[in-house]
Amino acid sequence: MWVYEKRLQCPVNIKETNAKLAQAIISQFGGPDGELAASMRYLSQRYSMPYKEAMATLNDIGTEELGHLEIIGAIVYQLTKDLSMEEIKSSGFDKYYVDHTLGLWPQAAGGIPFNACEFQSKGDPITDLYEDLAAEQKARSTYDNLIRLTKDYPDVCEPLKFLREREVVHFQRFGECLRLVTDRLDEKNFYAFNPAFDRVAPCVDKGKCNCNK
Amino acid sequence: MKRMSQKELFSMINQFSFMLDEIVLFLDTHPDCQEAIDAYNHYKHLRCEAVSDYTEMYGPISKYDVNASNYWDWVNKPWPWEGECGC
Repeated sequence: MWVYEKRLQCPVNIKETNAKLAQAIISQFGGPDGELAASMRYLSQRYSMPYKEAMATLNDIGTEELGHLEIIGAIVYQLTKDLSMEEIKSSGFDKYYVDHTLGLWPQAAGGIPFNACEFQSKGDPITDLYEDLAAEQKARSTYDNLIRLTKDYPDVCEPLKFLREREVVHFQRFGECLRLVTDRLDEKNFYAFNPAFDRVAPCVDKGKCNCNK
Repeated sequence: MKRMSQKELFSMINQFSFMLDEIVLFLDTHPDCQEAIDAYNHYKHLRCEAVSDYTEMYGPISKYDVNASNYWDWVNKPWPWEGECGC
């Protein structure tokens, strides 16, 4: 269960509309390394995560990412509200406008719709955590690119810098999760069994022992 | 915190909440860290006080804190994506 709070994790107060920037930033709404994919990835993976610290981390970072989706939504909304027809045509926003007017719709900067294939939930703790570490770095790179594009617009750039920092913190937390998981596995072979699926490890004395595991 | 302006008080809520966001994630992977638990308790108390003062003076930020008699205040602005806090 989630409880909504009428506030953003990081405030967004944009003074001037700018449809060109909005078209780039919308990638973090519904693009391949965006906040929607991030939130759905972690909130989907948490069910089969067998270790309590990693389960809590997936739940709480997945929740924070929903808040980040809202921040990006606020940036795109404020950058596009009250656009004139002239601005819509000259900025190239007309292609988005024809399908969505000034509504928010999850897509990548190149117009590709959001797709669940942009994330994975594999049901294997090591696989899922490596996916999460990669996802945080991909999002960080995307923010690096957006920050370069928006550096002359501080009211747009500042919340993007905040979001970039969060990617770095989440990477750190997922790294700790990965270590907590591997500490509980066979250090000679982390892949000997999948702790989210195989109820017990295969018997090390297979062949001589008759436990059939 | 009641002597603060609406904008200042709202900003305090955001700052204390962010401290908690950060501490909570740290505690998820370090659940036995006493220093982080103490920090959690400290900021939880400050946040609770700021939210309670803000709600009393300027209206609810949570649907569980609506104080309605003849009008459902929750529908009123500000909504956070609109910018500023209505202050």
